[in-house]
Amino acid sequence: MDRVSFDVSDGEFVAVVGPSGCGKSTVLNMIGGLVRPSAGAVLIDDALVGDAAPKQVGYVFQKDTVFPWRTVARNIALGLEYRGVTAPARARRVREAIALAGLEGFEDAFPATLSGGMRQRVALMRTLVVDPEIVLMDEPFGALDTHTKLTLHAELLRLWEARRQTVVFVTHDLSEAITLADRVVVMTRRPGRIKLVHEVKLARPRDVIALRESDEYAREYGRLWHVLGEELA
Amino acid sequence: MTERARVVLWRVAILVVLLAAWEWLTGIKAGSRTPGLYWIDPFFISRPSAIARRFVYLAFGDVRLSLWQMALSTVQSTLWGFVVGVSTGFVAGLLLGRHDRLARVLEPYIIAFNSLPRIALVPLVTMIFGFGLLAKVVLAWTIVFFIVFFNTFQGARAVDPDLVHAARFLGGGEREIMRTVIVPSALAWTFAALTPSISFALIGVVVGELLGGESGGGLGYLITQSLGTLNAADMMVALVALGAIGIVMALGIKQVERRLLRWRPEYRTERA
Repeated sequence: MDRVSFDVSDGEFVAVVGPSGCGKSTVLNMIGGLVRPSAGAVLIDDALVGDAAPKQVGYVFQKDTVFPWRTVARNIALGLEYRGVTAPARARRVREAIALAGLEGFEDAFPATLSGGMRQRVALMRTLVVDPEIVLMDEPFGALDTHTKLTLHAELLRLWEARRQTVVFVTHDLSEAITLADRVVVMTRRPGRIKLVHEVKLARPRDVIALRESDEYAREYGRLWHVLGEELA
Repeated sequence: MTERARVVLWRVAILVVLLAAWEWLTGIKAGSRTPGLYWIDPFFISRPSAIARRFVYLAFGDVRLSLWQMALSTVQSTLWGFVVGVSTGFVAGLLLGRHDRLARVLEPYIIAFNSLPRIALVPLVTMIFGFGLLAKVVLAWTIVFFIVFFNTFQGARAVDPDLVHAARFLGGGEREIMRTVIVPSALAWTFAALTPSISFALIGVVVGELLGGESGGGLGYLITQSLGTLNAADMMVALVALGAIGIVMALGIKQVERRLLRWRPEYRTERA
């Protein structure tokens, strides 16, 4: 990566797209404190991100990282447990999260019995239930089929509209980026640089299905596809 | 007939045929002028009917050391050896699995000790701990410890680093991650070692009993005693009892394992 620099403001939803291997996940890992930049710095509220995971940051991984030995409810409760939230408060917040994610009836199910989409929903709620100010998402829906993906897009937008966390969302799926984000950062192929920061001018709240048929969406998509296409060529 | 019933039926049929053949073959007199010769001599392998008689006698008859007392002694030492071996092996495996340098430093010692045939330790253990329960537990421990240790060690190293990252982002400190991520993850590997562990604990105990004399008690003692009196029936009683103990203990462990690992797909019995 080379001279990658961008700002994300409070409550903003930013998507990072680029060809595979351009370092978009690395950008995310640097923000999350998993990787230290060889030069330059990551600042959150003017504080330097060190080696540890910053407190106010939540991370949803591309890989399935639901804890297989914990039931759905106990997976979602884990972050609250770590933060010392009392059992009654924990139970209440977990119940709310499960209702929000439409996972009722699966509280006591183990992840092995769930579909990929439901597991990723658990991972998402597990991150959101502790109310992080910043949510980093690394292709969280990459392994899901198109239909499940759209459902989860709609759910993510609904949850985000309610809380307005700052989100940095890495993906290689352009339509996903346009559907979700306020701004799209397009990276070049290796060495990854920022090619373009594009503002998505689509009104909110967005309807993920209707959106795709709109002219505005087609225009945004066409423009970004053209830019990204130069990198894929 | 269900598949399960069919399997059970076959098992019973095999047992009946084997016992009947054993009883019948050891009853055929050889066509020789010397009286008392058999085609297959029950002196060496006894006969099911004789074994059953000795079983009843040793279990319920007026004997100094009943079959129950011996079995109890064996089971008791085995369970102790198992519990002590599993717990120490687990802790050591976890510790070395998470501390690379310590593991590298200790590696040759662990391999060297584990390569020792345990039976070679019996005289030394006897010298130190005598002939009683303690010596048998120690022998079982020397085997079980390593089985559990190696599995847990692998398990502790095989913890998915992404799960650890995920826990860290949820706000987990080192101790909490150990408790909520590394221990449960390693436990799955540890449990895989439990069934062989209980069998090996039994081996360790019986080896101790074979050489331990009467004060060690146990079924191993019945075997050496039977060798002394050339009593094949008693020996068979001890072997059958050991087999039964082995099966019951292995099944018990399986149940525990099934309960504790119910989150794993292969143990899945709950809703799909």
